[in-house]
Amino acid sequence: MPTEPCSDVLSVDARARVALLRLVLLQRLFEERGLALYRQGRIAGSFYDGRGQEAVAAAAGLALGPHDVVCPLNRELATHLARGVTPADAFRNFLGRADSPTGGRDGNMHFGVPDLGVFPLVSMLGDLASVTVGAALAFRRRREARVALTFLGEGALSVGDTHEALGLAGVWRVPAVFVLQRNQYSYSTPLARQTVNTVLAERIQGGWSIPCETVDGTDALLTYEAIKLAVERARSGGGPQAVEAVTLRIHGHAAHDDGRYVPQELRDEYAGRDPVARLLGRLVADGVTADELDELRAGVAAEIAAGLAEAERSPPPDPATLEQGVWAAPPRATVVP
Amino acid sequence: MPPDHAGAADEITYLEAVRSALADAMRDDERVFLLGEDIGAFGGAFGATAGLLDEFGDARVLDTPVAEEGFVGAAIGAAWMGERPVVELQFADFVTCPFDVIVTVAAKTHWRSGQAIPLVIRMPTGGGIRGGPFHAGSPEGWFVGQPGLKVVCPGTVQDAYGLLRAAIDDPDPVLVFEHKGLYRRLVGPRPAAGARTPLCTAAVVREGSDATVVTYGSGVAIALAAVDRLGADVEVLDLRTVWPLDREAVLRSLEKTSRVLVQQEAARSTGAAPHILSLVSREAFELLDAPPALHAPPDTPVPFAPELEDAYLPSVDSTATELERLLAY
Repeated sequence: MPTEPCSDVLSVDARARVALLRLVLLQRLFEERGLALYRQGRIAGSFYDGRGQEAVAAAAGLALGPHDVVCPLNRELATHLARGVTPADAFRNFLGRADSPTGGRDGNMHFGVPDLGVFPLVSMLGDLASVTVGAALAFRRRREARVALTFLGEGALSVGDTHEALGLAGVWRVPAVFVLQRNQYSYSTPLARQTVNTVLAERIQGGWSIPCETVDGTDALLTYEAIKLAVERARSGGGPQAVEAVTLRIHGHAAHDDGRYVPQELRDEYAGRDPVARLLGRLVADGVTADELDELRAGVAAEIAAGLAEAERSPPPDPATLEQGVWAAPPRATVVP
Repeated sequence: MPPDHAGAADEITYLEAVRSALADAMRDDERVFLLGEDIGAFGGAFGATAGLLDEFGDARVLDTPVAEEGFVGAAIGAAWMGERPVVELQFADFVTCPFDVIVTVAAKTHWRSGQAIPLVIRMPTGGGIRGGPFHAGSPEGWFVGQPGLKVVCPGTVQDAYGLLRAAIDDPDPVLVFEHKGLYRRLVGPRPAAGARTPLCTAAVVREGSDATVVTYGSGVAIALAAVDRLGADVEVLDLRTVWPLDREAVLRSLEKTSRVLVQQEAARSTGAAPHILSLVSREAFELLDAPPALHAPPDTPVPFAPELEDAYLPSVDSTATELERLLAY
């Protein structure tokens, strides 16, 4: 099936288009490399990727300003990279190295770099929605023009915590942005078994009075424009905002899951809608030459290879350090003689 | 602020000590703000925040919807951004609702990322007000042993003030179990403004040489009264922080007394007692002249009927009886 290029969204200039392409390619090539390492037994534990959802992760990362903060989930590597997390940092976390963002205390996408405004992912869906609201509350309290953003999948919308967070966001009118990753599945459970009203934007708008635009999440430019507008509305005092990005999770929940439960008709529907190919098609239509695109791709591939090599040189964590850092002020340090 | 008792001018209640600590912390540090249910115009279910809305305004005293998981999570996010949120849960029993964000996010974030979460969660704990199974529990034991958290249980007016001030200063998430039965009953000298009770340190509140009562929270006043009644030479060790435990203080006292009664209001298989008994059996075995004793309620939820609750809770009488048994061994 021929791939239709991304929409020619006039508000997204050439520089942003290239930046988005670079980010989706980074996530795609990183995850392809990482999946191979996992299957070779060089990455332990589990391996989650965001194939098919790279455009949403890249768009959200690029839509944020330098002082904004974000709580990404499992399928948003490009969001981390947009914030300045390096491929080497991410590989170190997958490899469980001493100098990884979690120092080997956690693996795969379960990390964040707070200094770059990225909160570390926790597995319990919905928890980070309230953390995001709290960060946004701090901005509102201090009258700072900053925004906090997080992602919610369909599964998270079944979790009570999420609804508590959405309610608080509205009551406190905080500059929070929720990007709904509607990738059709929560592990193996399709959306129709997750909720009766499957029009998520309607639930968010009708239930919580939070404006929510629905976009094709395989179209990087449409998704970027929608999230960027939502971020700016939140920043300028418009209260919480949401964007529903519709995609298909191409791989299973994680590498152990072959996604056999996804019907072929749904796969066929997405066959010509790979977000990376669509964005490449857009840039070709824009007149970017094949040489330029090859150069960009080669640069990204080199960056991934160098990041992995750098991560593999990092030492493993020392078991003697295991008990360090449990508390910011360890008990003995608080003792007053 | 409304007076809670008609005592001497230089004496205040445990509840007034809590309120003073909140007000002083807010005056000293713009980053400190309060969130919880009905804490604004109403002043909180027990009146701990009475008058604070008037002084500090609704940007620093935030009434919340009934969404404990949501607003504790939000407090974590604000703490991430450098604020000093102080959450009130209406009853400690309700900590079941935000349990997830407390142990999943607040407790583990520093260890996983180096990001401190300076969060305080205050909650009225314990019985004696006929609260029944959902308003009189002592759930601190669920958090004893949870890496990354600190858990404090003030048992004196001084510590109601000083532990709360220290908790607000601390860079870690601190759970403060304020005993609701002490709020208006316990009166003591007004703590000096700005006083801190150091976290993670126990205090010998009465010196003695024949036995040690290790206790905390509501147990402190009960143990002191029981020792007085017996006229015994017994040491009372107030843990103050039940997690992480002040191991050295327990061992130091047992070196002197060789007998220990662990007394608490939480049911016998929860609370701090199992951890104290484990510590004593592992590290003080050779110091002991008698089996370590435990005085705590049975393993049931807290009952409502006065006859049942009175039988359930440790009292001065029951504590004196347990202590006599220990001393006679």
